[in-house]
Amino acid sequence: MGSLARAYGRPLASVIAGIAVLWILILILVPLGAMVEQSLWWREAKGDVSLTIDRLYNDISLIELDRATETDPAKKAAFDQSIAEKQAEIATLEAQEKDPPKTYGLANFTRMSGLHFYIFVRTIFYALLVTALALIVCYPVAYVVALASGPRKAIILMVALIVPYAINELLRVYAWLMILDYRGVINGVLASMGFIDLDAREWIPFLENPSAVFLAMIYTYVLFMVFPMVNTLETLDRNQIEAARDLGASTLRIHRRVIIPHAKPGIAVGCIMTFMLSAGSYSVPAIMTRGQGGDWFSQLVYRQFYESNNWNMGSAYAVSLLVVCTAFILLMMRLFGVGLRDIAR
Amino acid sequence: MSTATESAGARLVLNIYIGLFVLYLFLPLAVMSAAAFNSFDYPSVTQWQGFTLKWFVALAHDQRLLQGLVNSVLVALGVIAVSIPAGLSGALILTRLGQRSGTVLYSVLVSPVLTPGIILGISSLIFWREFGVPGGLFVAVMAQSSFIASYAMLLFLARLQRQDRTLEEAALDLGASHMLMFRRITLPFLAPTCFTASVVAFLQSFENYNTTVFAIGGEWTLVTEIASRLRFGLSPVINVVGVIFVALTLIASIAYVLLKKKPKT
Repeated sequence: MGSLARAYGRPLASVIAGIAVLWILILILVPLGAMVEQSLWWREAKGDVSLTIDRLYNDISLIELDRATETDPAKKAAFDQSIAEKQAEIATLEAQEKDPPKTYGLANFTRMSGLHFYIFVRTIFYALLVTALALIVCYPVAYVVALASGPRKAIILMVALIVPYAINELLRVYAWLMILDYRGVINGVLASMGFIDLDAREWIPFLENPSAVFLAMIYTYVLFMVFPMVNTLETLDRNQIEAARDLGASTLRIHRRVIIPHAKPGIAVGCIMTFMLSAGSYSVPAIMTRGQGGDWFSQLVYRQFYESNNWNMGSAYAVSLLVVCTAFILLMMRLFGVGLRDIAR
Repeated sequence: MSTATESAGARLVLNIYIGLFVLYLFLPLAVMSAAAFNSFDYPSVTQWQGFTLKWFVALAHDQRLLQGLVNSVLVALGVIAVSIPAGLSGALILTRLGQRSGTVLYSVLVSPVLTPGIILGISSLIFWREFGVPGGLFVAVMAQSSFIASYAMLLFLARLQRQDRTLEEAALDLGASHMLMFRRITLPFLAPTCFTASVVAFLQSFENYNTTVFAIGGEWTLVTEIASRLRFGLSPVINVVGVIFVALTLIASIAYVLLKKKPKT
């Protein structure tokens, strides 16, 4: 911090430091803390509380009925007292009903139902699969763009990749929805060839199959795999490939010993981004399945917040997802021997 | 200077592969764009009922989508206002810090980029409710800024690495105040990056869905409105939005390529 003050003077340095501190606290750390805190408590919702309150109200009206017909002042006072007691009891119960006491613990995590846990595991498995497929599909693309084409072709290819990348994620999903829908492009083509009859609802229900989400997801996030790999491969000296070839290495060997080791940071970054995006994607499954295909975990999280209105449970789900993503990032960093500075480029 | 490392056969296979890949990227977008001009009232290219522009007119009269567009622009401007100063400050501090203490700060500041978008939306939603602010445009700005500021910071960091610090020192030696030096040397040097970072922030914010959908509460942006409509069925009006996006992106990238080529020739 001293060097900052030396460079920009004390007043300016404190403004800069102040903004950075606000950013860290208000936008990053405290919201994260709030979410974790929210996931660690719940309110004991007691169904019998409201029943007890109802019974007390009934008791009171009965007593009031007795009191109206009673003439003895001593007994009347006794009735008054029992009414007051019951009213006090109602007041405390109603306060409890409105604002049940917080209980802290890990129950939000352990209470996840079997079905939800299955969806959680399946989502992570799918995200891993999306990542692996994207890696296989993208490696040749990145190789061609970065190494195996002339500079002009490389620029054209870059633009060809950047244009779809720049187009709204949602619209890219929508394009696939159009293609795979009941009356979508594929069914339309099949119908025009006479294989199926759309008017008789004989369409093929692509959207009810989990692979529809899969296809759209790879389409949506594939470029997050390409660009990091291109970036690292571009720095590879082509003479190294020439040298390896001159020394008699086969193509496979060149890839394994020269190109892939050099591309390691790019592969790590691409995998991290693709996994993170697909594991946490809400847009693709929500739009592609429209409630008919299998749920993804992000949809469960959304419903906890906006349908069940159970923010504590929702936070616990979100924290679980965050933990898995963080673990994946750390694992990739360890496996590929890259640091955080290589990642965010 | 195409390299001769591949045999002709291998090059052919690679070229076909790349061709298929580009086709895979563009075909869905082309289909989506074409359907916007079909007068059939379900977005389709296979059931062609004649060319029309009526869906463009329908979009122009769609109040909710237009309001969504306004909201999206407001949010994006808010994100620029928050994330550019934040990213700049973070980058200035990091370039002056030593390697070791810098790494911890760097990890914290970059972490939002590596966090799933829905988590950022959720944590902002919870945080701001503590202050009585329900989900809405403001919370969306805050949630988006948390990671867009990191992107801005990375852009500023890259620029600052190429900075010639002797200029700043010379200005101070010649008697300029720190303020004057910052205004006349540092900021002009960073101005192009401020512009780039603002454009990136605007685009990122405008197209964001996963974070926004959690933070937006009862309000809506263009993108969340489109998404909630898709649940009830497809409409060619959405295709029109798509066509406009595709056209703008194409124009922008062609302009970018042309501008970038100029200095070389």
